[in-house]
Amino acid sequence: MSILNNKMKAHPIGIWMALGALVLILLAWLMQTYSLLDWEGAVKLGVQNESFSGNAVERAIADVERGVAIADIIWVLPLTVVAFIGLLRTKFTGFVAANMVFAICVYFPLFYAFRVSMNFDVKLAAIFLWAIPSLLGIIGLWTNRNIFKYR
Amino acid sequence: MIEPTNITWIITIFGTVIFLLLLIAQLVILIKPHSQQAKDILIAKGEDWRDKTHFKVAFAFAWADWLVIMPLMVAGNIGVLSGQLWGYLLWIILGTISIYYSIVFYVMEKEYVYPAVGPIIYYTYLWGGFLYWGIISIVYCVLRTHNVL
Repeated sequence: MSILNNKMKAHPIGIWMALGALVLILLAWLMQTYSLLDWEGAVKLGVQNESFSGNAVERAIADVERGVAIADIIWVLPLTVVAFIGLLRTKFTGFVAANMVFAICVYFPLFYAFRVSMNFDVKLAAIFLWAIPSLLGIIGLWTNRNIFKYR
Repeated sequence: MIEPTNITWIITIFGTVIFLLLLIAQLVILIKPHSQQAKDILIAKGEDWRDKTHFKVAFAFAWADWLVIMPLMVAGNIGVLSGQLWGYLLWIILGTISIYYSIVFYVMEKEYVYPAVGPIIYYTYLWGGFLYWGIISIVYCVLRTHNVL
């Protein structure tokens, strides 16, 4: 039996790891929501890299970042909420939704990591706030997969 | 054990074709990053990268796809065709990523790519295929694992 199966209050440690990762991810969605409401303000805060008031290249990259922000809010944010509630209730739906969210949060930091022009601080933040917690979340969930009610 | 059906095979072949074409195209940029062949496949015949950043974005997507999409596709197909529940979970995860970058690409490509290729190519193979596969695979996995199909 892995340490991740040990119960700490209501849930095993592995599930708490996944819930912790989802909290970090929710913070990221908060930043993305703010970006969509006030893009240039988010650039000044360092939440986004490129401005729409820059040259053609900067505007094109800002379009990529805005695409990521829109996808985060309309697709992954609802999944994150379903995952959070589902995990707290140890439902299989929560297990699946959490894995869906974690997969995206591993995929996109990888894209950032290989994008040479990206600000190094943003790369580090994406790796330490999203990718690594998501990987730990996947491990925590997989270790405890048998506790989820399938129906 | 969830036995594969004809629908399972159709979704497997559809997914394998669209993802393999994408991955092969991206392999060219990973092996010969600055070659004309890479530009011909990933931009258009005879075209050049708009600038260094354009190239770096495409290069980063190629790495991310080979490290995440390829293993998910191969393992997912093996799992689903051998009737394993984890295979369906991997398909759902791949479908989620597929929908995700379909949204990202829709926003970033509407200014340049969509006007260049037109609606038929864009909404069928170039962009649409990935979105449709993502939606179909997730819906199918949910229904199949709940014995509805």
